[in-house]
Amino acid sequence: MKKVLFTLAAVSIASMAHAEGATYAIDPSHTFVTFEAKHFNTSTLRGRFDKKEGTVSFDRQGKTGKAEITIDAGSIDTGVPALDTHLKSKDFFDVAQISGVKFVGDKFTFDGDKVSSVAGQLTMLGKTVPVTLKADNFNCYTNPLLKREVCGGDFETTIARTQWGMNYGLQYGLPDSIHLLIQVEAIKQ
Amino acid sequence: MNALRLLLVALACTPVMGARAEPVNYAIDPSHTKVYWEVRHFGTSTHRGRFDTLEGSIAIDRDKGLGDVSISIATASVSSGVPALDAVLRGGSFLASEANPTAYFVAKQLRFDGERLSSLRGEFTLRGVSKPLSLNASNFACRTDAQLKREVCGGDFEATILRSDYGSTFGLPFVGDKVRLLISIEGIRQ
Repeated sequence: MKKVLFTLAAVSIASMAHAEGATYAIDPSHTFVTFEAKHFNTSTLRGRFDKKEGTVSFDRQGKTGKAEITIDAGSIDTGVPALDTHLKSKDFFDVAQISGVKFVGDKFTFDGDKVSSVAGQLTMLGKTVPVTLKADNFNCYTNPLLKREVCGGDFETTIARTQWGMNYGLQYGLPDSIHLLIQVEAIKQ
Repeated sequence: MNALRLLLVALACTPVMGARAEPVNYAIDPSHTKVYWEVRHFGTSTHRGRFDTLEGSIAIDRDKGLGDVSISIATASVSSGVPALDAVLRGGSFLASEANPTAYFVAKQLRFDGERLSSLRGEFTLRGVSKPLSLNASNFACRTDAQLKREVCGGDFEATILRSDYGSTFGLPFVGDKVRLLISIEGIRQ
């Protein structure tokens, strides 16, 4: 009898949680996309995008989720102004003509309660190509200032920029391979 | 074995290439030299940033495995992508940049793995506190730069410090104690 009651209770709680899932708003001060590119096989160049926004929803019981993040490519920031200008030009992100960079992730993989990867599509230069972001770390905590749950982690992927038609400089030895490091924190709504 | 090889090379080269025995000087290329930092936030995401203003000089004597490396970082040039955070980082709880405008790394001991610089053993000064620190190379290469038409040597160097060792304890443990320093550096031969 106890076992049956427990099972019924467990099932009803699980289905309630499944029906809820939760939505989180990206915290822009703790979310950044950093890119790394090898400069002539010597040093690594890093840059980030300062302006971004998005939402993430996920359901730990149902093992589903959706993430939508929009990045303003015009906010690219390497700390070298002349390089930022070049990256915003037609040679790279062409910010004058093209609105932005967008990632939509619709396949969340979980390792227990933790998100272990997010598969989706990355749109750059008007072209959409599948990418998978792998989680190196994932955690949820109660933020003492916001008094809300914050979930997030460190995600990474490596892309070949030519897949989006960003071909500049290959003949000069600039790399195709770009490593993306994504730090995310999102606040429960 | 390595030392014997170097000795033989030095003896063979000295009469013809006396200049080789002297240290070679490189000036830091500021558009390809940055110090990036990483610190864990609430055990969740890694917060990344960098220091934009750096100066330095590098002298390498590959034959002797010696050198003189000196990198100065303007602590007020900290850049996290969040201006309000940069102001906090410059403050007394973190960089204390008003009292300590410069952080610096100096090293005289260089370790080579063949032609490749593999580590620098020196000292790091932050918030006016100096501690021994070794920078390990995850990458090192020299090339003749097609535009500059000069030798450029550089690489990626890494070290992890505990900020509490330098007197910065604010926010522990929510803002991590371990700060990973990633130095991308390129020097142009003078």
